[in-house]
Amino acid sequence: MLECHDLVRRFGDRVAVDHVSFHVTAGETYGLLGPNGAGKSTTIKLVCGLLARHGGTVRLAGQQVDGRHLAAKAVVGYVPQDIALYPDLSAAENLRFFGRLYGLTGAELRARVDEVLHLVDLSDRAGDRVDTFSGGMKRRLNIAAGLVHRPQLLVLDEPTVGVDPQSRHAILESVARLGREGMAVLYTTHYMEEAQRLCDRVGIIDHGRLVAEGTHRELVSLVAEQDRIVLGATGDLRVLAERLGSLDGVTGTTVGDGSVQVLTTDARRLLPRVLEAAEATDAEVTSVEVVQPDLEAVFLHLTGSALRE
Amino acid sequence: MGAVLLIAAKDLRQRLRDRSALVLCIVAPLAISFLMSSAFAGAEDLHVTVVVADEDGGEVAAALVAVLGSDELADLLTVEEATDRSAAAAAVDDGDADAGLVIPFGFSEAATGGGAAELEVLARSDRSLSASVVRSIAEGFYAEVEATRTAVGTALAVGAPLEDLEGLAARARAAPDALAVAAGELGGRELDLISYYAPGMAIFFALFAVGFTARSWWLEAAQGTLDRMRAAPIDPRAVLAGKVLSVFVYTVASLGTVAAATSFAFGAHWGPAPAVAAIVVAMAVAGTALTALVIALTRTEQQADGLASLLTFALALLGGSFIFVGTAPALLRRLAVATPNGWALRAITDLSTGAPASTAVTPVLAILAQSAAIAIAAAAIARRRAET
Repeated sequence: MLECHDLVRRFGDRVAVDHVSFHVTAGETYGLLGPNGAGKSTTIKLVCGLLARHGGTVRLAGQQVDGRHLAAKAVVGYVPQDIALYPDLSAAENLRFFGRLYGLTGAELRARVDEVLHLVDLSDRAGDRVDTFSGGMKRRLNIAAGLVHRPQLLVLDEPTVGVDPQSRHAILESVARLGREGMAVLYTTHYMEEAQRLCDRVGIIDHGRLVAEGTHRELVSLVAEQDRIVLGATGDLRVLAERLGSLDGVTGTTVGDGSVQVLTTDARRLLPRVLEAAEATDAEVTSVEVVQPDLEAVFLHLTGSALRE
Repeated sequence: MGAVLLIAAKDLRQRLRDRSALVLCIVAPLAISFLMSSAFAGAEDLHVTVVVADEDGGEVAAALVAVLGSDELADLLTVEEATDRSAAAAAVDDGDADAGLVIPFGFSEAATGGGAAELEVLARSDRSLSASVVRSIAEGFYAEVEATRTAVGTALAVGAPLEDLEGLAARARAAPDALAVAAGELGGRELDLISYYAPGMAIFFALFAVGFTARSWWLEAAQGTLDRMRAAPIDPRAVLAGKVLSVFVYTVASLGTVAAATSFAFGAHWGPAPAVAAIVVAMAVAGTALTALVIALTRTEQQADGLASLLTFALALLGGSFIFVGTAPALLRRLAVATPNGWALRAITDLSTGAPASTAVTPVLAILAQSAAIAIAAAAIARRRAET
C-alpha cells in the first residue's frame, strides 16, 4: 500500500528525515515510534506530499507521489496532529467540505458523512458548530474528516496528544477497529503503550533516522533478556545514575523526571545491590519498580535515551 | 476548477457567518455614506434668516436691504427687519434669526461722500456658515459701491462736469464688467460630494477583504486545515486560487451593493452601469493580487493583519478615499494614480460628472496592469521563500 524508500528532508543544515525507508502493507497497522522532534511528522508530511522531498521516493498503491500524479493522494486519509477543522462550520459541513475535495458528491457524500459521524459517535451533533465541541469530540471529528472519502491508507499523526483518557480510549478503539476491517494504518506516536497496543509492526525513529523496525516480539528480542529497574528518587539523580551505572551487571542507566532507570539482564538478582548503592548516595529512593522488556527498553537500548526525555 | 470554487464557496460561507466582515464591507460604507449624505444635504439646502437693523435709513442702506430681499436671493435668504442693533442681536441670540446685519448711522453718507462706515454682521458661534453668507453678500454690495465711487471720481478727475454727478454714477453702475470668470465644466454635471465619497468609502472598506483572506490563510496554516486541503488530490495551487477567488466575489458584492444602495437611497451618481461594472471587476482583480502579495510577504496571522491594515489605509489615503484628490497637491495626485483604487475613484468621478463610458477604459487597463505587476511580485516572493 505504501512504500517509502530512502526519504530525505532537510531544513537548512538540519536533516529532519535521514534516509528513511519503510513500507505498510494492506490491512497492516504500522507505527512510527519516537520522541518529539524525532522526525515523525515530517515523515508523514513527505508521505502525504505536503513537503517536498530532498531525496527518496514514495509510492502509494503502486503510484508515485509527486506534483504530477495527484490521483495517488486519493488513497490516503490524512489526520494531522492539530485539530484541522473549521470551528465556525458544523461537523457535517466540515465533513462535506473535505469529502468534496476528494470528489464525493450527492447521495454518496451524504451517506459517507452519516457513516463516519456514526463511527466516531457524533451523529447527534452533526449540525452543531465545531467550536461548541469538547476537545475529545474535536479529536474524533478530526479523524472522521480523514475517513470520509473511504481511504485505503489512514495516516494519523499523534492523534491522542492532549486528549482525556476516555476520548483516548475511544480513538484507539476506532483505529483498532479500522485495522481489523482491513484498512492500512500509518500511526505516529511517542506513547509506547499505543504502539504496543495498536501496531502490527513498529518503526523506531530518532533524530530523523529509522533505527529499528519489526513486530513487537522482534524489537523486544533486540534487547535480549534485559529488564528495567525504575527507581523513583529525590536528590541528585545524576550522581545516583553514575553510581548505579558502575555496578556489575548494569548495562545502562538514564535519568528521567524524578526517576532513574537501570537496564540489567537480571533485575531480581541485582535489585538488592542497586538499593544498597543508592543508599550510599545523597539521593532518597521513594519507589522501586521492575519492568519486563518493552518498547521503552528497546528505545533506551537503541538510542541511549528515554522516549519522553 | 471544482476545487477552486469549492474552497471559495467555503470561505464565503465563513465570511457570511462572520458578522464583522459583513459590517465592514457593506454596512459600514453604507452607514458612512448615509451620514455624509445627511451632512451634505444640509449644506446644499442652506437657507439663512437674516435680521437687518437699518440704523442709517439712507438711500444706500435701503439699496442694500433691497439687494438682500431681491428675488435672486430669495432661495437663500429671508430678510426680517429690526428696529435697532439690540433688537437684531436679541433675535440672533434667541435663535429667531440665523444672522443679523447692522447698517450703522451714516452708512449712506459715507458710501456717497467717501467717508468710512462699517457694516456689522451678528451671529452665534454655531451659525458661522450663515454669518459667512451674509458677510459675503454685504461685501459684494460694498465692492459695487466702491467701484461706482471710483468710476465717478475718475470721471471727475478727467474733467467730467460736476453737475452730471447723478448721471455719471448711473452709467458707472450700468457699465458691463470688462473682465469676468466663466465657469467651465469638463463633464455635463457638477460633482457632488456624496458621489465622490460613496465610491471612496466603498473602495476603502472593500479593501478590508484583503486582510480577512490573508489572515484566514495563515489561520488555516496554523490550525492544519491548509495542509488537510493540500493533502487532497487537487492541484496545490487551487488552494490559493480558491482563497483569492473569495476576495474577488466579496469585493464585487461589496462594491456592487454599496453602489446600488447609495445610488437609490442617497442619489449618488456612479456613472453608466457597464463602465462602473468594469471598474468594480478590475478593483476585485486588484484585491486578489493584493491578497496574494500580503500572503507572500508574511508568515503569521498577526503579520498578515498588520501588513493588510497598513496597506488598506495607505492605499485609501493615497487613492483619495479620505481626501478629494482633485484639489490635493501635485505629488498626491501623482501618487493617486500609482494605486489601483486611485484609478478606480478617478474613473468613477469622471463618469459621475457625465463623462462617456469609454472614459473608464484607460483606468480599467491601468488597474489590471498594476494588478498583474503585484501578482508577479507576489509569485516571485513566494517562489524565493519556497526555495529557502
